[in-house]
Amino acid sequence: MVITRRSPRQPAWHMLASEFGESSLHEKGSGEFDPSFVITKLGAKVNRLIVAGLIERLEPRETANGSTLYQGQLRDPSGLHYFSVGDYATETMREMVIDLAARIESGESLMLLMVAKARWFQNEEGSVYTSLRPEEACIISPSVYREWLAKACEQTLIRLDAQQKAASLESNRASLAEAGIPEHLIDGLILAKPHYGEFDSEMYRFNIMQALDIIENKDVIREKPPAKAETVEPESANSGDSGASSDESDLKQTLLELIDALDQGEGVDFDTLLSNAAARGHERDDAEAMLDELSDGGEVHEPRFGWFKRT
Amino acid sequence: MTSDMDVHVQQVISQVPGADPKKVEEAFIRYEKDFLVPPEDAFRSVLRRFQSDLGEVKPASGGASPASSALPNRKVNRFSELKGDDRNIEIEVKITTHNPRIQMIRGEEKQIAFGTLEDLPWAEGEGDRWEYKDWGQNQNLSPGAIVRLEGVSVNEYQGKMSLNINQSSRIVVLQEGSRDVVNPSEPVSISTIKDEGMVTVVGRVLASREDVIHRKDGSGTLDVVRGRIGDDSGVIGFLSWEPFTHEVGSLIKIQHAQVRSFRNTPELNIGRSTKVEVYRDTSFASLDDLSLLTVSKIEDLTDGNRDVECVVEVQNILVRTFNKEGGEEGKVWSGEIADPTGRCRMSSWQEPPFTESDLPVIVKITGARVRAWQGIPDITVDTAEQMEILSSPPWEKELDLSENVVDVQLNALTSGASRVGISTTGTVVSIRDDSGIIRRCTECKRVLRDGACATHGEQDGVEDVRLRMVLDDGSATLSLIVNRDACLGLLNSTEDEIKDRISADGQVVFVQSLRERMLGRNLTAVGRTIVDEQGAMLLAESCVLEEVDTVLLAAELRQHWGVA
Repeated sequence: MVITRRSPRQPAWHMLASEFGESSLHEKGSGEFDPSFVITKLGAKVNRLIVAGLIERLEPRETANGSTLYQGQLRDPSGLHYFSVGDYATETMREMVIDLAARIESGESLMLLMVAKARWFQNEEGSVYTSLRPEEACIISPSVYREWLAKACEQTLIRLDAQQKAASLESNRASLAEAGIPEHLIDGLILAKPHYGEFDSEMYRFNIMQALDIIENKDVIREKPPAKAETVEPESANSGDSGASSDESDLKQTLLELIDALDQGEGVDFDTLLSNAAARGHERDDAEAMLDELSDGGEVHEPRFGWFKRT
Repeated sequence: MTSDMDVHVQQVISQVPGADPKKVEEAFIRYEKDFLVPPEDAFRSVLRRFQSDLGEVKPASGGASPASSALPNRKVNRFSELKGDDRNIEIEVKITTHNPRIQMIRGEEKQIAFGTLEDLPWAEGEGDRWEYKDWGQNQNLSPGAIVRLEGVSVNEYQGKMSLNINQSSRIVVLQEGSRDVVNPSEPVSISTIKDEGMVTVVGRVLASREDVIHRKDGSGTLDVVRGRIGDDSGVIGFLSWEPFTHEVGSLIKIQHAQVRSFRNTPELNIGRSTKVEVYRDTSFASLDDLSLLTVSKIEDLTDGNRDVECVVEVQNILVRTFNKEGGEEGKVWSGEIADPTGRCRMSSWQEPPFTESDLPVIVKITGARVRAWQGIPDITVDTAEQMEILSSPPWEKELDLSENVVDVQLNALTSGASRVGISTTGTVVSIRDDSGIIRRCTECKRVLRDGACATHGEQDGVEDVRLRMVLDDGSATLSLIVNRDACLGLLNSTEDEIKDRISADGQVVFVQSLRERMLGRNLTAVGRTIVDEQGAMLLAESCVLEEVDTVLLAAELRQHWGVA
């Protein structure tokens, strides 16, 4: 009798960043070896992904316990994937990421393909952020990138089709299977439907069109990446493609909104404010400077030391 | 005694605050003295009396009898709130499995059902799982259904908690289940029998023979009958523990047979509580029609199949001699066989009606059993009469089976039996760090770890080239082991070149160079598979990276899915 039976290896989903980034549903099995999943709006039950794109940022960070965590962003036509490589990663992966970070630092543009585990994180307000932990990665040529894009588009189109069919069906295995929905999508669609409700999938189709354009125009990063998704992003978003002024006004807006949201009457403390701003992609230093500016400008006051309130 | 009594009195008072404690105690004493009913058993009656005396009877809910609603249901959300002796519980649960079964209870046949259910049915996957038994023959319990159970009780046995759904319990379906409950008395199509459980089938006996089972503990033997029964949907093997005298060709109805799986092959078990009777249906498929159905293809064979009939091409045959236990010499003929769906092995314990010089020869095999060695099916024939030489194959003559490779979808390989002579395509999603040059044990050919074999100890071993990768089609994965020749072909390199690269750059850089060449790309592998509990493995004899015409694929996607 095998008591702790490990699940078979989970397949890797070809997925554009927008679909993964907008996910807010997760499932964790109860057993020790049960895999955990992020479930996307299109019903993909994701434990592992295969993604590709241009590395936009890759920087080391000191963590609380003194180890170094590399955090990075991968840009595809639909948006950004966030990934991190820490002590838990294989030696090969860690060595690679140190090398990559140095090359990015020196101004090289690199296309990366990675097979990664899906991670999710929920902050105190209940927002869910997804990110990736790469298992294996490699620098790729534009032709391999196109191949990946084509597969990601195809897989996404199949999911869009299944999701559309499932929307009008009774949410159970039998009726979904009868409608010809592929077996590996059924579980996720049943879980996704009550959680996400109705949503507009037009953006995904638009992302696919952009990706197909890139494949056909033989021009890998042809245009400026599309505007960032509305959802707040968990890590620093100093991508450098938007002007400093828009970043600043965005930071200002974020801080004011945070104070509004978190103020229970006696203001919001410094640390809470900065860590929440960091969770929305703003560097602590920038947020601190902006907070000073807001205090000086009189938009925010400090009723007692380290506690901030709207005036 | 009195303190004991006090507890019961207090319990009644807590339910009926207006009752006089003295009178309650008197009632208990009266039950104990006059009716010889101990207070714990008299509790309900006493409670009901005082409730009705004081006009506090709660209206009976639904069709439940007043007796069961006398004690109000206690509503709980989680199993963790329950104790071993809790009764009259109301809880919302999700039924995860439901298996009806006939059980003898006090000399009476009763249909009960058992299965598992989960609390917190609306929260996805966060519920705890308990077992339950349904004594009430409730027809509205079905797997996947979310129901509110009213008036159920907790059963604790050896520290394990479960729920009893009683005859008086009420079940309110809040969300329909995904599959209808199969009434074990209603006949089902044979092809639908997959899971263990109880079924009734109507079918024609296709094969039947007496067999003997030797008890493992050596305490004797059991006479059984084995055979196969079929309907127009499929065929299933049966094993009867009771005398079975129906002849081949007769149409029978088997009620309440237990389905058991032997090596993943479902089989009907005919036992004491199973009813077998002659069935009349003139429109039922004839024996001739059904026997066509019973011819197996190699791709369908799995370990444990019995009474297999198939037509194959024998490609080679070898005879081996061995010493039987008594020192007597025995012979076994074994060889490779093929049909258009694949290749596998066969063994015969008697001399086949053909020799090596007749090969290749088309043979019809009947009544064989299938064993698997390293996952590859081996059709085992016990006597020469089971083999009949055919003059021509039932498939196109031109088909050259000796080099025949069957394309199989990756997810079909991982869910099916082990196969030989297949090819499949998937995305390379992993290249293991130990790919490249390895050393094998000189005795057992296993890979040496830290210069030593697990069984044969430290040694230098023999050098070999091998890649370990994972292929993925988005719904299933396969570990891919690429042998020396396939590896050199795939890398377009010689063993010495590979060695030089590894010693110059190191193993890590070498494997990383493989990733840059292959990760994320489509690869087609030809070889054989071994499928077991660990997953599926493909041992590749050759591999090619597929060139994908992405512009063409993009155009196809636009057309197929209407993306402007």
